[in-house]
Amino acid sequence: MNAAALAAVAAIVLVAVASALVGAYGVRRRSTSDFLVASRTSGTAAHAGAISGEYLSAASFLGIAGLVLKDGVDALWYPVGFTAGYLALLLFIAAPLRRSGAYTPSDFAEARLGSAQVRRVCTVFVLVVGWLYVLPQLQGAGLTIATVTGLPQWVGVVAAGVVIAVTVAFGGLRAITLVQAFQYWLKLTALAIPAVIALMFFLGNDKTFDRPAPPSFSQATTVDVTTDVVLRTDGPLSLRAVGEVDGTAVDGPVTWQAGTHTVESGTRLDFDAGAPVPVVEGAPVQDAGWLTPFADGNSHGLLAVYSLILATFLGTMGLPHVLGRFYTNPDGRAARRSAVVALGMLGAFYLLVTLLGALSRLYTPQLLVSGETDAAVLLLPTAVLGNGWAGTILGGVVAAGAWSAFLSTSSGLLSSVAGVLSTDVLRGRLRDVRITTLLAGSVPILLALLVTRLDFTESVALVFAVAASTFCPLLVLGVWWRGLTARGATWGMLAGGIAALGAVSASLAGAASTGLLGTLLHRPAVVSVPLAFLTMILVSRGTRRERPADADQLLLRLHAPERLGLSADTAEDGPARFRD
Amino acid sequence: MASRPSRSGGLVERIVSNATLNERPAPTYEDVQRSAAFTDLKRRLRRFVFPMSAGFLLWYLAYVVLASYAPGFMATRVAGSHITVGLLLGLGQFVTTFVITQIYVRYAERTLDPRARDIRRHVEKARR
Repeated sequence: MNAAALAAVAAIVLVAVASALVGAYGVRRRSTSDFLVASRTSGTAAHAGAISGEYLSAASFLGIAGLVLKDGVDALWYPVGFTAGYLALLLFIAAPLRRSGAYTPSDFAEARLGSAQVRRVCTVFVLVVGWLYVLPQLQGAGLTIATVTGLPQWVGVVAAGVVIAVTVAFGGLRAITLVQAFQYWLKLTALAIPAVIALMFFLGNDKTFDRPAPPSFSQATTVDVTTDVVLRTDGPLSLRAVGEVDGTAVDGPVTWQAGTHTVESGTRLDFDAGAPVPVVEGAPVQDAGWLTPFADGNSHGLLAVYSLILATFLGTMGLPHVLGRFYTNPDGRAARRSAVVALGMLGAFYLLVTLLGALSRLYTPQLLVSGETDAAVLLLPTAVLGNGWAGTILGGVVAAGAWSAFLSTSSGLLSSVAGVLSTDVLRGRLRDVRITTLLAGSVPILLALLVTRLDFTESVALVFAVAASTFCPLLVLGVWWRGLTARGATWGMLAGGIAALGAVSASLAGAASTGLLGTLLHRPAVVSVPLAFLTMILVSRGTRRERPADADQLLLRLHAPERLGLSADTAEDGPARFRD
Repeated sequence: MASRPSRSGGLVERIVSNATLNERPAPTYEDVQRSAAFTDLKRRLRRFVFPMSAGFLLWYLAYVVLASYAPGFMATRVAGSHITVGLLLGLGQFVTTFVITQIYVRYAERTLDPRARDIRRHVEKARR
């Protein structure tokens, strides 16, 4: 292990240990410290920091820069959608859900519709969404460890999984506002420093994006291809290759003509300084196209982007860890204020990530060849500053920031999943919540070891599509429409959820990758979300007689000013649904 | 509802003029729900949330439409720099999200909160 690797590992261990310590300390002091935060004037900033800290995951920290590196302007849709999703959450359901006292979609469904069956369906989807969302976080940890130390990916996956499961089991990191807020600032710093330095280097020389040419290697570069990849080049390109290219074994100089070339895993490619960079198939080859939306006439690009916007816009409100975090604010007014600050913080973060992605096209173009674009943020420091002490330290800071992104998001998700597991699935059969948490953590660890890695942002977008097709209709109709019935909600969630999950699985299995069908399978939200809403409305209409007798009253409580404390609240009201 | 609230009356008077709230010692949820003040509050919230969401969803979709059907316009350089109109509009999406949130918070604090407070104050007074 070289100095850079050691520095990065030291920084990562420091973050993990610090989080675990503060987490363990926070268990004993939780109520006091959260109370202190809430009572201070700085409460808004701390809460906003906590919201942002928990929300910004591997997909945001590593993934967006990677997609910007590859797809350019088109990748902007992800961060725009992620922030807009927060706005949708705020506008549609934040205040009413707060009044309902329900912290999870399952709680809400049972309270609003009075049906254990709806709760069970919700539980299944909370588990699916939670586990699928932790998956890319763990894979991100694997990629980070592999990139900075050269160890195999599974080391990072297992290490991150164990650290997260143990931290949540023994600490309950999620409940501690200050830790999450700290993680936000750590992530922001870890991006801001390399971004500023790289920007200064960029402005100090004559590099530019604005040209109808592919990016080029600034120095002689060796790329080890670790997964099979199809590369496109738009002119003749001379290189040396050892391994298998276009189906034949090669060992020595080759010249590629314009077009696509298949490179098998295990092949080593050597490029000279100044050589144009071949780009993974499907991404814009030339810099000018990279700067222009849909430049390469992406078929059904419009539909794909609409679908993505719909998924991120409506999916955010269904993510288990996002909803919970919203409630640590002392009251509705504070919740709204912290949402504004949080959106500012998210915006700042995403601008930095986008900038880093753009700069990485100049400094780490070899990632376009290996397809490992998600590693862009991690490699940028040493690519800009070299392997000296400055690059080493900066690399360590970035690795620690990435690690903090996995930790904060995964611990929030894992405690939601563990909570649902112990109350709904195991029903107290496993008395010890800690064992349940370790159990909940082992599922995504296994998944991460077995499942092929997608681009992080892509896999997160799939989870958003599932959340948007299940919880979003439940929450929005539950809050705004008195006609919703338990059976309507159940069938709607099943229809949307199965459509979204099925489409994504089919797409991953390689059912159809092009054309209208391929686009829809890859980005199902544009179909599955309306399907879920429609099913929910139609079945509810059909089962009108099963409408909860107290629907009007429940809805009123969701929209009435907070803490009315009316007489109907008290004992004669029957079950304590929607406590005040 | 026993009597229609007078249109000119203030918020609190309108609830007071709603007989159902006054006749009983403690108002129930149904009473509040029927009160003009609450109806007004709900309408104001709905009138803000739905058009605003529709508006900004349209603005996002408009960007995508422009990008697909007017790529020339989106690729236009701004003031001879590297920055294209498309890039500026893309970054503008962040700004709009932020601005809309701020408008919502201001609307809630100036328009919704005082009305909700009035209703609460009145209900609490009636319970005593």
